[in-house]
Amino acid sequence: MADHKPHTSHEEHLREQHLMLDPMPRGKMNEMVMESMHTTSWKFWLVFGLLSALVAYALFYKWGVMILEGLGVAGVNRPSYWGIFLVNTVFWIGISHAGTFISAILRVFKAEFRRPFTRAAELMTTFGLIQAGFSIFMHMGRVWLSYWLMPIPNERQLWPNFHSPLSWDLLAITTYLLSSTMYLFLPLIPDLAMARDRTPDGTWQKVFYRVLALGFRGTEGEWTHLRNALNIFAFAIIPVMFSVHTIVSWDFAMATRPGWNSTIFGPYFVIGALHSGMGAVVMVLAVVRGTMKNMKYFIRPEHFEAIGKLMLIISMSWAYFFFNDYIVQWYGGDKWTKELLHWHEAGPMGWMWFGMLICNVAIPWAILWNKKWRSTPWLIFIVGLLINVGMWFERYIIVPISLTINRMPFTWRLYQPGIEVWLGIGTLAFFILLYMAASRLIPLIPVWEVQEGQMAHSLRKYGRETVVTVSELE
Amino acid sequence: MAEEKALLAVFSDIDPAADAIEQLRILGVHDDCMNVISGIPVTEAMLGRPSQWTNVPRLALGGAIAGFLVGLFLAFITPNMYTIMVGGQPFTPVPPAVIVLFEMTMLGMLISTFVGVFLDSLFPNYRPMHYVPEISDGKIAILIECPPPDAQKITDVLKKLGAESVKEAEAQHL
Repeated sequence: MADHKPHTSHEEHLREQHLMLDPMPRGKMNEMVMESMHTTSWKFWLVFGLLSALVAYALFYKWGVMILEGLGVAGVNRPSYWGIFLVNTVFWIGISHAGTFISAILRVFKAEFRRPFTRAAELMTTFGLIQAGFSIFMHMGRVWLSYWLMPIPNERQLWPNFHSPLSWDLLAITTYLLSSTMYLFLPLIPDLAMARDRTPDGTWQKVFYRVLALGFRGTEGEWTHLRNALNIFAFAIIPVMFSVHTIVSWDFAMATRPGWNSTIFGPYFVIGALHSGMGAVVMVLAVVRGTMKNMKYFIRPEHFEAIGKLMLIISMSWAYFFFNDYIVQWYGGDKWTKELLHWHEAGPMGWMWFGMLICNVAIPWAILWNKKWRSTPWLIFIVGLLINVGMWFERYIIVPISLTINRMPFTWRLYQPGIEVWLGIGTLAFFILLYMAASRLIPLIPVWEVQEGQMAHSLRKYGRETVVTVSELE
Repeated sequence: MAEEKALLAVFSDIDPAADAIEQLRILGVHDDCMNVISGIPVTEAMLGRPSQWTNVPRLALGGAIAGFLVGLFLAFITPNMYTIMVGGQPFTPVPPAVIVLFEMTMLGMLISTFVGVFLDSLFPNYRPMHYVPEISDGKIAILIECPPPDAQKITDVLKKLGAESVKEAEAQHL
């Protein structure tokens, strides 16, 4: 005889699994989110202090040293003029793609599981782009002349060449940074108003929330304008996101160098960006869930499960693009390209090439196919971490290692990083530091979006089966 | 002319709020004299309210056009103002200009969308306003402007329809 569980038990199970089916009064959810922001242990402040010290030393002090001493203290030299600075620029721009992917694409496709963590992902976009900006400024060397990039009329007749991929970079990254920051801020306004309403008068936090909430009350007009704007942003920011990493790839692909001059570099870079970005989102969610109060209610195994599936699909897509890029270059038979491909696998940094494939393909495929494993926060955290290691390796292989082999063998020399290692660590520490600060200042959970989702979900019976139904509220 | 009185009725759910709006209309309160304030976006259709007007899409379109024009200026006009002669290369090539045009168009559109929310919603607004903090805790409030003699009648009807509280709205700093 078939073993049928009672309906109530199945319903309870569904509610336990799905945040959207397990509503709480809005006031209670607000309270939980505010409590998560205000509850900080000594461990938080210890990590915060250590990271602040690391940022002060690795980012600002070391950068100051490089400014005083010149770019000679970095390892970039002939033939690898592009080193870790550019690796990190590409890496951080890649990380920034997850915010838009999760928030905009999943919003457009009405993927309901996105609701509790859109903001956590959007914050990554803004903070990731800040680190990318730092990295590219470091690469410039004479950073105080960075305004030369801007089209400013001047008596020396200096003007950016808008036909150069580096100028496209400036336009694309600026557009993406501005638009993703605006896209972060708009849906935050109602939650800032909530925080304003729940913060006692006479505190600096009250002033902070009051100023940033802009006087939002939640009138029909305000919601209509906000909803329209969010819809426009969700659709418009997607092509901007694609353009950013495509243009970053063109910094390489537009050069007729072995290993770089590839027509598939644009989509290959975009999928790589999503790969590392999703890995980073899952890491952030696991940490937020594990360390912040009340977050286990909002971020559940179902979310890791859903992101895990996306990560698996993205990993497969990355493998497809990687192989496509590889085989076309290999089949072409160009002497220098073959030399380079051999150098990637069998050169002194070959371990990095194999590490990239293991981290980006083998490990995600081995773990993420299993629903139970991909729903386990600590395990998927490790997968996300390894994907990011693998994607950093990929950028390292593309930038300095590929520059090692060129058409002039007498210039071949292995890149040896110098001060840029510290500066890279500094950007990582600064990213985490900004995230920690934000987690205590702004609601990481978009409560109004969660409540809206909970209103749209219900359980309905079809015959003996209880199923989840979602209504279209917008 | 007597000054209008502002009442703020707070409801715990959408259904009684929608019923109250219908009843207020029957009592002769015009739609323009009501405003619904809520902690989540409740659509006009749910409450039986007329559609809200927004300029945001038009501003977005305007911004896109302005951005496109700036892109045209950067890609096609400025190379003639600041000449950089590179051997064998066209002076104002179209394919690279497409990238500049795309980025500037999108930037113009998104900035104007953002600014549009500010303009349409009159943000930032730090003047005293009619509001109760319970709204962000999930309550739905109806702000009603009515002639003072009708206030008591409206209050009674709204309470009968399930309003948790109906009181004279006081403008306060948020």
